[in-house]
Amino acid sequence: MSMRRALAITRRLLAGFRHDKRTLGILFMVPLVMLGLFALLLRHDPTPVAVAVLNEDAGPLGRAIVEQLKASDHMAVTEPTADAARAQLEDGTLSARIRLPEDLSVTAAKTGAVKPDITLRGTDPSASAVVLQSIQQAILAALQAQARAGIGTLPTLEPQITYRYGGSSLDGLDLLGGPFVGLVVFFLVYIVTSISFLRERSLGTLERLMASPLRRGEIVVGYMLGFSAVAVVQSVEVLVFSLWVLHIYNAGSIALIFGIELLLALAAVNLGIFLSTFARSEFEAVQFIPAVIAPQMLLSGVIVPVASEPGWLQVVSNVLPLTYAVNGLRAVMLEGAGLGSNGVLLDVAVLAAFCVATILAAAATLRRTVA
Amino acid sequence: MHPMEQGAAVEVRQVRKRFGAIHALDGLSLRVPRGQIYGLLGPNGSGKTTLIRSILGLVAPEEGEVEVLGRRMPEREVLGRIGYMTQAAALYTDLTAEENLRFFASIAGGGDVAAALGFVELGDRARSVVATLSGGMRTRLSLACAIVHKPELLLLDEPTVGVDPHLRVQLWTGFRQMAAGGTTIIVSSHVMDEAERCDRLGLVNRGRLLAEGSSAELLARAGADTLEGAFLALSEASE
Repeated sequence: MSMRRALAITRRLLAGFRHDKRTLGILFMVPLVMLGLFALLLRHDPTPVAVAVLNEDAGPLGRAIVEQLKASDHMAVTEPTADAARAQLEDGTLSARIRLPEDLSVTAAKTGAVKPDITLRGTDPSASAVVLQSIQQAILAALQAQARAGIGTLPTLEPQITYRYGGSSLDGLDLLGGPFVGLVVFFLVYIVTSISFLRERSLGTLERLMASPLRRGEIVVGYMLGFSAVAVVQSVEVLVFSLWVLHIYNAGSIALIFGIELLLALAAVNLGIFLSTFARSEFEAVQFIPAVIAPQMLLSGVIVPVASEPGWLQVVSNVLPLTYAVNGLRAVMLEGAGLGSNGVLLDVAVLAAFCVATILAAAATLRRTVA
Repeated sequence: MHPMEQGAAVEVRQVRKRFGAIHALDGLSLRVPRGQIYGLLGPNGSGKTTLIRSILGLVAPEEGEVEVLGRRMPEREVLGRIGYMTQAAALYTDLTAEENLRFFASIAGGGDVAAALGFVELGDRARSVVATLSGGMRTRLSLACAIVHKPELLLLDEPTVGVDPHLRVQLWTGFRQMAAGGTTIIVSSHVMDEAERCDRLGLVNRGRLLAEGSSAELLARAGADTLEGAFLALSEASE
């Protein structure tokens, strides 16, 4: 192994980037734009759900419930006529219509049952869930208010809540952001390597490399150094943006996060070299993204937790290396785990093994002699 | 076994190579003395490229053996003493001419970038990115990349395909200079008028060497006026 020859490959790759400012721009802008969009989507307070209340109840309970509904942050409550409410529910202005029937107070006093009549638009499950949860809270609050005023007695709910990890301020971006940082580096490094290596094949320069004294190990090392250099800069950039601009929750060691990302980048370089063997054009190399990369990302637990997948699919997830990257990054960032705790050692070991496997696979495709 | 023959730059003995049902090389033998320009002449698909690639050790023959500069192929180290110019200009289009040369020199273990640029008369385009060079310039740069490390043996696979007459004359003047300096050159072509510029010719068809000699010898042997005629006559005679 001659480091001088390997470094010649590295220098060649970096010189290419110097002349190709657009690729460089994409590599360094895309992760920020994607993370920024995630932040806007996941950190944005949801728009209140539009709900109409038709209070036909003559008694005090109906009025108390309407008051509580109007006080809710999750709903925008109006009191239109019955006809207007029906029309608005149909044209999509309203997500739900709540009718409090005229015997509401009487029935509640007699039987203890509160029976509002709720019609949901039913096309948006998350809006429906908000309405159902909020109406229950409003009814409970109204009954509690009555109880305090001396009408009946009611137990109050005061659970004591402790967060072992994270906290009440943890949101969707904190859950998604950590693993995403790793996956975006993996994804972009894979694309750049596979295209770059495919060009090496299609332009005929690989034939020239094979007709030179280069060892295939030197080619692999040269490529790894070149693209890892890019990946390191990219990882630093994305981490700084995530932690200090977006303030994504992190309880763990930044060095460990960085280490996991570097392993991912190395695996991506070699996977790119390996898979480029099976592509005849840049177009085909891009087709490997939905075929090979996208399923891995979906099954890695980054969006839907692996534990909530069907049993047989969990087996598939547990074989895929990206799952361990997501696990590891979450354990470090959300749980503050070190290398020796919460299974992080297994995650890192699996990623390291994946790296070695892709290096061997990449080297195997660089046979000098065709039999 | 086979004693090393002094003076031979390339020695190909009874090489056989099949791709599926096609016999790319069918027991071909060839000997190229040092310092000669040897022309491989034959139609497309006759096995010229496979022969060149097996001389480099990029193709593993099923039978027979190849010796290059006294070393049994395949051997990695000897590749640093060989220059190889592929059919298409194999260059990094995102690098400058100079960066391409510097790269190919460093993987071969050193070379003279300025001399190679001067040889193909591209000194004034050293800092131009390859993507901005014309087709002829790329062909010249590709040749420069093949000779930047001052190889003892130069393999040229159809170097003048799609090259204008002016540039072709220029390239052949260069090849002649290199041969005079001691470089052995093997050049494949299906253009017969180039053949006359070689010291020695090998007519290749269907993976076999039909005949060998100077162009005058081949013409006399076939009783033909042109090399095309000689090629056809010798092909028919071998059927």
